[in-house]
Amino acid sequence: MDVKRIGGIAVAAMVASAGPAFAEGSLNIYNWGNYTNPDLIEKFSKEYGVEVTVTDYDSNTTALTKIEAGGHGFDIVVPSASYIQIYVGKGLLMEARPDQMENFKYMDPKWVDVEFDPGRHYTVPWQWGTTGVAVNTSVYSGDPNTADIFLNPPEELVGKVNVVPEMNDVMTMAELYVGAEQCTTDKEKLKEVRDILMAAKPKWIAMDYGTTEKLSKGDLMASVNWNGSTFRARLNNPDVVYGYPVTGYPVWMDNVAILADAQNVENAKLFMNYIMAPENAALISAFARYSNGIMGSDEFMPEDMKTAPEIVVPAEFAGKGVFTKECPPESQKFRTAIWTELTK
Amino acid sequence: MADTLSDDVLRRAAERAQSKRFDVRTMPGFTTIAVICFIALYAPLFPMAFYSFNAGDSIAVWQGFSWRWYVSAWSNDLVKDVTVRSLIVAACASGIATVLAVLAALGTTRTQPFRGQTLIYVLINQPLMVPEIVTGVALLVFFAMIKVATGYTGLIYLIAAHAAFCIPFAYLPIRARLEGMDKTLEAAASDLYATPIQAFRRITLPLMTPGIVAGAMLAFVISLDDVVITELVKAAGQDTLPTYMLGQLRRAITPEINAISTALLAITVVLLTTIFFLTSKKE
Repeated sequence: MDVKRIGGIAVAAMVASAGPAFAEGSLNIYNWGNYTNPDLIEKFSKEYGVEVTVTDYDSNTTALTKIEAGGHGFDIVVPSASYIQIYVGKGLLMEARPDQMENFKYMDPKWVDVEFDPGRHYTVPWQWGTTGVAVNTSVYSGDPNTADIFLNPPEELVGKVNVVPEMNDVMTMAELYVGAEQCTTDKEKLKEVRDILMAAKPKWIAMDYGTTEKLSKGDLMASVNWNGSTFRARLNNPDVVYGYPVTGYPVWMDNVAILADAQNVENAKLFMNYIMAPENAALISAFARYSNGIMGSDEFMPEDMKTAPEIVVPAEFAGKGVFTKECPPESQKFRTAIWTELTK
Repeated sequence: MADTLSDDVLRRAAERAQSKRFDVRTMPGFTTIAVICFIALYAPLFPMAFYSFNAGDSIAVWQGFSWRWYVSAWSNDLVKDVTVRSLIVAACASGIATVLAVLAALGTTRTQPFRGQTLIYVLINQPLMVPEIVTGVALLVFFAMIKVATGYTGLIYLIAAHAAFCIPFAYLPIRARLEGMDKTLEAAASDLYATPIQAFRRITLPLMTPGIVAGAMLAFVISLDDVVITELVKAAGQDTLPTYMLGQLRRAITPEINAISTALLAITVVLLTTIFFLTSKKE
């Protein structure tokens, strides 16, 4: 009896869970974990009567692998900028033409003609952020907007600087610092990059994550750090400031795209258009605390984010950002070699 | 009589001396190594559990005791949703795995030894030896083909995958139990005109029950804890508790994840302790 009942429940559960994937009016979003504001999903569901599921992934590679295999049942995915061309190249994305959608007018023009999706035929920004330097002003009162903070630390910061162990971010900053391009293969420039990093390393205290905590507590007086993390550290400790290296700093962006084999294309397009509306984009940012790339969303944002210099890039540094990309194999080889030596 | 007695005593004393000499516990460094191993295994769990009771937002700065994060995890609908799904998958998968494991255990212990028996052991225990990521990728590709062909993407794929890798975990305790059981009882039942089915139902099955329960619980825990295969096999809306937790890691971690981990750890410890008592009852 009991066994039968349990079996019945299990079968019912299986059938129920199979339901939404095919029901009229559903939408299956595949996004980074802890990244989607439940309020946004609820609002969208209510307005359009669409049942939405959000499923998590933890890395671009996991998402790409599952989508490439097919049969996943997802309609929308949110890959990082560096992965968009890989998706497009493999024919995994639908040319949904968000540039022809009603709310496209709200997209910040500086994010329209991006290298990874010129004219925005495939994707819409979800959130974006920067990698810069965080400095504690109680120790260092100079200009924070320089990569010198970690590549040539000023006297006050020697032995107090942390570098996050993210090869692509750190190498991009160092390459830009010596005046090279991202993913350079120029051996002289690479030698310069290597020498600067090796000379700076003894002046660092660590190469670690967990910067939000340590900057807040004052365990670290400076660090290569992400803007969102620095923002949270500053809310805990007002002495922390965020610097945008004038030689150039990495920019990342996660983008909403519709999958080529999506089952609920119309709902996916509705959602794409929906999140370009400023008040909805603001909901995305309010939850995950990064900028969204939609003009006019600021006024709907939480008070503490509206004016945060970590979130709103000051005009003078706005043009210095460089989209991080996956380097071609040759430059990747050089980067890895330098990185291995550095982290030894 | 007295002679044999003293002989006996002497022999036992000699045995004791010998067994003492070869007792690993008296080997130099045994205690040190054991202590280091236990510390390495368990020390990292304490800070995690400790900070789950933190009143503040941090997982590294103590700001006083509070149940806050347990309350927050408990009232988080997403956590509830994924926990229920984890339990459904674990219950179904361990149920299927246990039934198959019982059959396999009977087939490999209550029959005449046959050619290729070792091969059968290897086949049954394959999930223990093949790296999880290999199985995961294989299942991903295989299930994707079925999903595309049939259009069905329900929870059944996850349950099937879990059941497959749970089989050896259920099989090993059941087989151990069967091997340790006195076969003469079953023979006696047959002598007393019990049909094979009666003998199985009245004698073998009750005697092997502790093994079955232990195997089922172990399979349940293994299914509940699985990340890699689940991450690759899950379809839309099929996050389980571990894959949900993995997804949290990209952004700032709050003690909520510590609270969930600690609760999961507590459940695992309770189940494993039960298994331990069930299987050690005989000694």
